[in-house]
Amino acid sequence: MVWIVQGVGVAVLVAVAPWMWGIAQTVKARCQGRRGPAPGQLYWIIRKHWHKETTVPDRSSWVFRLAPSVSMASLVLIVITIPIAGRVPPEWPHNMLTLFFLLALERFWSGLAGLDTGGTFGGLGASRITTLGTGIEPALFAALGIAWQVSGDGAIVPLAAHLTNGSASLLPWALASVSVALVLLAEWGRLPVDNPDTHLELTMMHEATLLEYDGRFLALSEWAMALKFTALVAFAWVVLGPQFSSLWANLGLRIVEMAATAGALGWLESRLTKLRYFQLPAYFAVAAGIGMLGFYLASGGLGL
Amino acid sequence: MVNPWIRQNVAMKEAHAELLTLTATRDHRLQATWLHPRSGCQEQVTLEASQEYFPSLTPMLPEVAWDEREIHDVFGYIPNGHPDLRPLLRTPRWPDNFRPLRDRPSARPAWRDAEPDNPALTVEGEGVTIMKVGPTHAGVIESGHFVFSLMGENVLHMDAHLFQNHRGVESLLEGQTVDAVGAIVTRICAADTVSHQTNWALAVEALAGYDSGAGLTLGRIVLLESERVLSHLNDLAQIPAGVGFQVAHQQALAIKEAWQRSLQRLYGHRFLFDTVRPGWVVPVDPEDLLRLVHAIRRQWTPWRRLVEGHHGFNDRMAGVGVTTLAEVIRFGGQGVVSRSAGKVFDARTLLPLYQDLRPVPVVESDGDVRARFSVRVQELEESLRLIEQAAARLRAMPRDARWCPPDAVSGQVVVYTESPHGLNVHDVAVVRGRVLRYHIRAGTYRNWPLLAHAVPGNAVADFPLINKSFELCYSCTDR
Repeated sequence: MVWIVQGVGVAVLVAVAPWMWGIAQTVKARCQGRRGPAPGQLYWIIRKHWHKETTVPDRSSWVFRLAPSVSMASLVLIVITIPIAGRVPPEWPHNMLTLFFLLALERFWSGLAGLDTGGTFGGLGASRITTLGTGIEPALFAALGIAWQVSGDGAIVPLAAHLTNGSASLLPWALASVSVALVLLAEWGRLPVDNPDTHLELTMMHEATLLEYDGRFLALSEWAMALKFTALVAFAWVVLGPQFSSLWANLGLRIVEMAATAGALGWLESRLTKLRYFQLPAYFAVAAGIGMLGFYLASGGLGL
Repeated sequence: MVNPWIRQNVAMKEAHAELLTLTATRDHRLQATWLHPRSGCQEQVTLEASQEYFPSLTPMLPEVAWDEREIHDVFGYIPNGHPDLRPLLRTPRWPDNFRPLRDRPSARPAWRDAEPDNPALTVEGEGVTIMKVGPTHAGVIESGHFVFSLMGENVLHMDAHLFQNHRGVESLLEGQTVDAVGAIVTRICAADTVSHQTNWALAVEALAGYDSGAGLTLGRIVLLESERVLSHLNDLAQIPAGVGFQVAHQQALAIKEAWQRSLQRLYGHRFLFDTVRPGWVVPVDPEDLLRLVHAIRRQWTPWRRLVEGHHGFNDRMAGVGVTTLAEVIRFGGQGVVSRSAGKVFDARTLLPLYQDLRPVPVVESDGDVRARFSVRVQELEESLRLIEQAAARLRAMPRDARWCPPDAVSGQVVVYTESPHGLNVHDVAVVRGRVLRYHIRAGTYRNWPLLAHAVPGNAVADFPLINKSFELCYSCTDR
């Protein structure tokens, strides 16, 4: 049973990813007073790119051609790693380290692809996302250090119950949630860290590494970008959100949570401006600091 | 002994005069026209060079660096002692002996088969990367090629190569009849068109000795200020886009669109083309104008509250892309850029056109993006106030009889207005109803070099923000 639910969960997550992305875009458009595209627009965009001719720059190597597949593969693996309905059999490799590694792998290959063509903006984007990675990774560890405390091996399991049961205070859980949210905004390349909707190459981060792609590579990259969003939303809700006892109910809950998060993200982004690039270390320091405080409180610090 | 040409011009600058134009003519004559901002008097310094060379003013007055390069490109006169005589608007495609304003080309010259790029000034050294942007950009903007020298994310130097779409307007205007000029001048630039049209109208009226009536003057003021509102709305919409503040961006664009549709209804053109002619202005109903201003205020006030109350947005603009007052004075900066750095100069206060409406120059001191944003916000409200006042006066006024300029006006005159992008000057010489020389110096011509000084030291990711806060016009600069 667990296997079937997980299998269905993986398939659903990969399938609805562009739609979740679209919800955020639609909400953003509404906040700006525009009607905006339908939430399903990204499917059509992906389809359009897929049927276009695929060209590659003359001076690019196999790295450039392989990178979109590596990105997509690592993200699908991330989805498989996450116990989407809250439970997987113990022999399932559902470890946070695996997930962090896959995220780093995806980032590494995006960076390589940006550098490979020798284009100006690709290199700039590669430099920026790699720099971003050095902020994201420690902050993610700090935010979810609690996981090792609970399970001993950093397995991706629902932590909310542990965090709120043992102690009288919701504080550690709240702190971990805030910290994870801050880090994920950066990992998704959303405001206030990166602006996915800009056409200004000089300000781009993740988009800059994709500028040379078209056709099927671009279709794959767009889908991967949407999948990164949905996968990490699901991950955050599995770890920090409430769970039902029924697996199927949990799966349904995940869909609702993802759509709600996408909507909230669109609303939030409409209220923010992009931070200065050189302010980002402070942003990650705050995220990591909040996470570590939560960890400290959860381990009995301050006698809470 | 310093050359009298240099001495006299430096004396003008030291007397705090504004350089209106520096022009050359086919017969080796150079002429600098200065404006004394207190009295509004103009003074001219002339040089009869009589050969291919003339002493360069640039080492003493860096603000004329581009003017002299342009004279070198289009007349072939060589400014002796100019520190940087790279081509400004000449491209490698021009034949060597092609001097468009000096010898009147009878046929289209034979363009050479060459890469269009001129050499760029870059920084060399370990760890320095060169980044080229444009001339084609991802947004709907004009053509400009920017070469950045970067150290990591920091800009060390920026070299702007404009003049990518040179149309030869000045050469086209030569020999035109007075009737034909208006249609060309209107199309110099869509952002400052009313200012250009008004300049031409003022020039013809000055040459013919016609004193325009109050109705005509007020009609022009309404148009000039409507253009400023349109231009400022556009600039104010673009600045939030530079930092991802999409809500403010889209809402300002919506206000701008509403304003343009009203202009279309009232004047028959979204960009106000062909609305001002010598002795004439499109007649409008003052009641319509008042309703228009009232309607735009209803949208504008909530928008102003949104942007002024947004902490992140204001923080993001502060201290970015700073231009100092010293730089503004050194490079002769104009318009919003100069006023946001503390220079108190607005040509509207000098123009007889505005006399009893008393426009107040809006001045800030920080010289950063925030200051330029804030000057535009305040100027826009000032413009709405001026439109209301002018419309209120127009209500009680009979319509002027139409005046047609005589066929055979002659003379030379330097006229100016304050366009949304700064002091806009036309130097017009007409002989018996035909244009002998027509020189156009828009405010942005002086501001581009300032942008190149404001960008270094900032993060390259902030360039779009700084650029949009300057919002310099390409087609006014490259006529």
